[in-house]
Order: sequence, then structure tokens, then C-alpha cells
Amino acid sequence: MPTLDLEKIKKEIFDSQLWRSVFRGGVWKDTPRDRAGHIIGNVWLHLHPVKVRPRALKWAYTWGMGGISFALYLLLTLTGVALMFYYRPTIGLAYRDIKDLEFAVTLGMFLRNAHRWAAQAMVVAVIAHMVRVFLTGAYKKPREFNWGIGVLLLTLTLFLSFTGYLLPWDQLAIWAVTVGTNMAGATPVLGNEGPLGSLVGMRINNDVRFTLLGGTMVGENTLLRFYVMHCVAVPLVVGILLILHFWRIRKDSFSAAPYAAAEEKVDVWPHLVKREYIGAAGTTLFIMIWSILQNAPLEAIANPNVTTNPSKAPWYFVGLQELLVYFDPWIAGVLLPGLIIVGLIAIPYIDTNPKGIGSYAWKERPFANTLFLLGVVMWFALIFIGYALRGPNYAWYWPWESWYMLKAAPPATWSVFGPKGVGAYPMLLGIPLIGGLFGGSILLPKLIQRELSGKKLMGGFLAAVAALAAVGMAMGKMGATEGAFLLFFLGASFYFGFVLPQRHIRTLDWPRYLVTMVLVVCTMGILLKMCARLTFNIKYLLTIPAISMNV
Amino acid sequence: MSEATPPIPDPVANPIPAAAPKPIVPKPEMSRGDFLWAGWGMLAAFFAASAAAGARFMFPNVIYEPSQKFNAGPAASYDLGVSTKWLNEQRVWIIRTPSGFYAMWARCTHLGCTPNWWGDQNRFKCPCHGSNYTLGGDVIAGPAPMPLWRAKVDLAPTGDLIVDKAVLENKPGKRELAPYFADYAST
Repeated sequence: MPTLDLEKIKKEIFDSQLWRSVFRGGVWKDTPRDRAGHIIGNVWLHLHPVKVRPRALKWAYTWGMGGISFALYLLLTLTGVALMFYYRPTIGLAYRDIKDLEFAVTLGMFLRNAHRWAAQAMVVAVIAHMVRVFLTGAYKKPREFNWGIGVLLLTLTLFLSFTGYLLPWDQLAIWAVTVGTNMAGATPVLGNEGPLGSLVGMRINNDVRFTLLGGTMVGENTLLRFYVMHCVAVPLVVGILLILHFWRIRKDSFSAAPYAAAEEKVDVWPHLVKREYIGAAGTTLFIMIWSILQNAPLEAIANPNVTTNPSKAPWYFVGLQELLVYFDPWIAGVLLPGLIIVGLIAIPYIDTNPKGIGSYAWKERPFANTLFLLGVVMWFALIFIGYALRGPNYAWYWPWESWYMLKAAPPATWSVFGPKGVGAYPMLLGIPLIGGLFGGSILLPKLIQRELSGKKLMGGFLAAVAALAAVGMAMGKMGATEGAFLLFFLGASFYFGFVLPQRHIRTLDWPRYLVTMVLVVCTMGILLKMCARLTFNIKYLLTIPAISMNV
Repeated sequence: MSEATPPIPDPVANPIPAAAPKPIVPKPEMSRGDFLWAGWGMLAAFFAASAAAGARFMFPNVIYEPSQKFNAGPAASYDLGVSTKWLNEQRVWIIRTPSGFYAMWARCTHLGCTPNWWGDQNRFKCPCHGSNYTLGGDVIAGPAPMPLWRAKVDLAPTGDLIVDKAVLENKPGKRELAPYFADYAST
């Protein structure tokens, strides 16, 4: 019986003319030259450098999240193309095609599950990637521009999710898109319901909402437009930005961390490429297992006249949905998201701190890390409130309260400053007061140039608020819950909005200081407005109806 | 430059010919640099115009949407209070008061979800962001910026209510009058 000589077969394959014609390079001897040649001579791998700093291989440093995001993007492209073979984007057919995918197409359910779960995983991975890059100061010079591209890619990842979940044409789809496009209709100037919109001639059939919908209501054109955006237009833009993103990583080199004395670069093949494959394979396996265990949600077929009660966005947009409870649509849906995107892009140009590059340097950049994480935590706290604490009629339900128990009708809201009959106090008093509070909060930390004791400040402030709350409770104006809310929200905004900036950025130059503080004070404004609504049932602190300015 | 000096011509043997008329060379009206800048300008104008045309392309000229007018059936068939009979088909509540009818468009003025009527609390409540409205459509709680819209409603000679959602009003003082209110005193 002849023995199977595996080594001989391997040699025959690798030395064959066919193999040599496909893969460049001579006989593989695993020399450094071979490894370099393997990277340079391969179109897919040649975006890598030949050698890389050893820190690029450490999972604890990179979290592997950039690579995993890209792996998920590829997985989404593959599963998405597969789904396109069975899906027709028309109102009469879309929902039926999804049902067919689930119950009549071999592997249809699995592929749809994989597409949905990979999309959600990609949102998580991209956010985690951003957090990692922030915490290691990896956006600093010369990587400012690439951070900006990353922010755009995060935005587009969310937009791809948004355009994607209209396609099944179920109740989640139609109401999410109704709300989303009505937010666009509330854009200042460009939307028919936005401030100044009607002044420049915006109507329901010529504004930005109209182009998104392809009509005046969510309908056939809307589904087609979102389909084209989801499957072709946005992935194309993402692809272009990804090429830029990777190219800049390559050009700017992997890390700006100062070199250690004995640090020597390692070969990308096999060390980095191996880890990339492990990351991609692990991600695929994870998505496959999840898709077998858990089916993607599909609600009842879309009904353009009746909304599910309560109607909630997918989890990554529930934070935005919760924000819309406290602010007018053009503020919560357009201004604040715009500020978040612009603010994130601006970070590398504001943060001139030369320390804390290439390591988790908590002590070297306390202000930047704290404020950034505060933003991330607030975003997820809003998601938690919207997801877990909101019940029927979007009323506040604690986890131990049954949704079958209808909440009493909420008491009438009121506005503090506004025109006669709308506000409790005159508008002309409110404008300087609220404006002064906003401007003063921005300027104050820099105007006090001496070192203050944070502990004494916080202690005094909290004691004052507690005394105020005690008086309020004694007068019967509020209960214990309201008192706790007041203490929490006021304390948090005082600490993050005054104590921290006063301690850390009072020496920053004026332009950078002002941009930073506008972003900080807007963030604190969100906390204060939430406090005003939850504690005192205030609808607007100041309302100027003539220019749709309600805060 | 030639090195050798040319011999001086003898003016008698070789009289100097009359000077040929100078050819007219047009003075350049535009320098090379200006020309290039004009070219770049035109290219930029072309791209701007293309972008504008592309944006215009996204605004459809003809849209196929259902009529906003419908027959809500005999007025006499409605009881006092809020009727949700047409909610599922036409997204409208027909509300009968002791003196007549108004039709309220069931679209939350916040971001366009459909509120639900809670008769025991006398409220319309929106399931998306928690806006609350009174029976008349005024905002009482939640983020909605303005009252619910009332649609034009006519009492046809046949006794049917004709509702037109394309004609809307929500200003107090106007919305209580025709054509947003149909008088109907008979019981």
C-alpha cells in the first residue's frame, strides 16, 4: 500500500506553474525578505506596512475594533447582496418578501438574522473603536484629519442602519422613518416646519423632507429612495471614506507613542495579518451563532395610520428619541446631533495637550477623558431611559411597574419665560436671564484664574441645593424623587460644567477655550433641561414663538 | 547672434527699400494666467450647476398619492364624543359636539405619529414621545409644539360628512368655525 506523502503533494502544488502564476514570488523560505514580499506583492495585503510596532499587535491596546468593524462591513455586504436576490422594494411586496425570506427561502432567515445582527454589532464596534482611539489620544497630530473621517464613518454607519430598517416595511420601519423624516422637516430654513422655513418659502412639497420621502408622505417613492441609499449610494460613500481612512493609517503610521529604547518593529506577515484573520473569523463565528440562536425582529406589516404603543426606535436611536421628549425637534433632532458630529471632528484641533499619546493616560489628560466619557455615558443613559423606563404612551414606567396599569394623565406642563399667556414670567426678563446664564457659564471658569478647592466648591453647592430641595419639600412643592433628581442633575452640571473646566482648561487660549465651553455648556444644558422637565414639569425655560426658539 | 559684422550696404547701389507695413499684432486682452483662472472658474461653475441640477432631479414633479378627501358616512350615525371609526383607514377622528362636528387629523404635531384616544382620561396621547392633547386638540403635556390640526368638514345634502385633510387649521378662534366645523343641531 503506497503511503500518502503530504510534503511531496504540497511541494508539487506550490511549485506548479498554476500556483506560481497566481501568487507572485519564488519558493517560500520564510525569510524576512519573503514576508516583506508577501505583503508588497499581494493586492489585498499591500495596504499594510511590511513591519509594524509591536503595540499594534496587543489586543488590550487596540481592542481590535477597527478591524472588526471592517470585517462586519464586509459581512454586511455579503449578506446584503444575498438578501437583494429575494427582496423587491415596493409597498405591496417588501413585507411579503421578508416573510418569504424567513419561511420559504433556504437559509433566508439565517442570512437576514446575520445581516441585522451584524449591523447592530457594527454600531457597537465602531463606537468602541472611537472610544479606544480617544482614550489613547490617537487622534492627535498628525492624525486629526483621519479622526474626522472616522467620525463621518460612524455617522454613516448609523445612517446605513437607519435606511436599512425601513426596508422590511413593518411597523418599526414606517414609524421610525416617519419620525426621522419629520425631524428633517424641522431643519431650520430647509424644512417646512423648521424655524425660518416658511419665511423662505418652504412648503410640504418642496423642502428637504420632500426629497427624502420623494413625496409628501411616507410611500412608494420613500421605500425606493431608502433602498437605493441603503444598497448603493451610502455604501459607495463609506467605501471611499474607508479607503481614505486606511490610507491615512498607513501614511501616518500605526502609533504616535514615544518609542521605547528596545522597541523593534515586527513583521506584519504573519503577526498582524494572523490577528486580523482571527478577529474576522471570530466575528463571523459570533454573528453566525447569534443568528442561529436569535431571530431578527419583524413587527406587524406597516400601517401608515396607526402607531404601535409605545413605539420605540432601535436601541442605538432610543437616546435620540428620549432627547426629543425634552427639546423641540429642530434642537434635539438637528442642532444637537450636528453639534455632536462637529464637536467630535473639532476635538483634535481643540486638544493641544501634547501628553497622553499612545497610552491610556488617565492622569495626563483628566479633562479630555472625563468630558468625552461623560458624553458617551450620557448617550447610553438616555438609551437606557428610553429603552427600559418608557412604557405605553411613552410615559415613565419604573421597571417594577406593570405596563398594563395605565398611568394617570400627566399634569399640564408650563413654561417659565414667554409671551403673555404662554410663560409664567415675561419673555423680556427671560431673554437676558437665560442668555446671561448661558454666556456666563461659558466665560466664568476662565475669568477665575486662581486655584479653587473642588471639594469645598462641590460640598457648598450640594449643601445649597439640598437646602433648596428641603425647603421645596417642606412647602409641598416637590417629593423625594424630585429632590433626588434636582440634587443629581444640578450637582452633575455644576461639577462637569464649572468645577472641572475651572480646574483644567482656564489657561487654554480663548478660541479653543470658547469652542470647548460652548460644547460643555450645551451638554450641561441637556442635563438641566431634563431636570426642569422631570422635576418641575417645565415644558420650556424660555419660549420665543415668533422665531420658534424654545429651550 | 552672429559674430561677423555684416558689411555696410552702399546706399547708392542698393537703396534701402521702403519699410514694409508693420503687421498688426492684436494686443492680448487676457493674460495666460487670467485665462487659466477663467477656465477654473468655468469648471467650478459647471460643477456647481451640476450639483444644483442633481439636487433638482431629486424633487419629483409628479407624485402619486391618495386623495385627501373622503366621505365619512351619514352624520346621524355618529354619537356624541370621539369616533375612531375612520382612524385605521383615513387617520381622522370624527368628533361630535352637541352643536355639530369637527374632524381631527390624527397626526401628532411633534413628529407625526398617530396618538390614541383615552376616553376615561379625556386625552389624546402619542405613543412616540408622550405628547398629550385635550379633546379640542390643544397640547397639555409632552413635547408637541402646537395643537392638532382639524380638517375641513362639510355636511353634504345627502346628510353625509365630507372630510378634506388637504385643508387644515389649528388656530383657536379659526378652527371652531366653518369650514372646520359643521353645524348639526338635530339629534
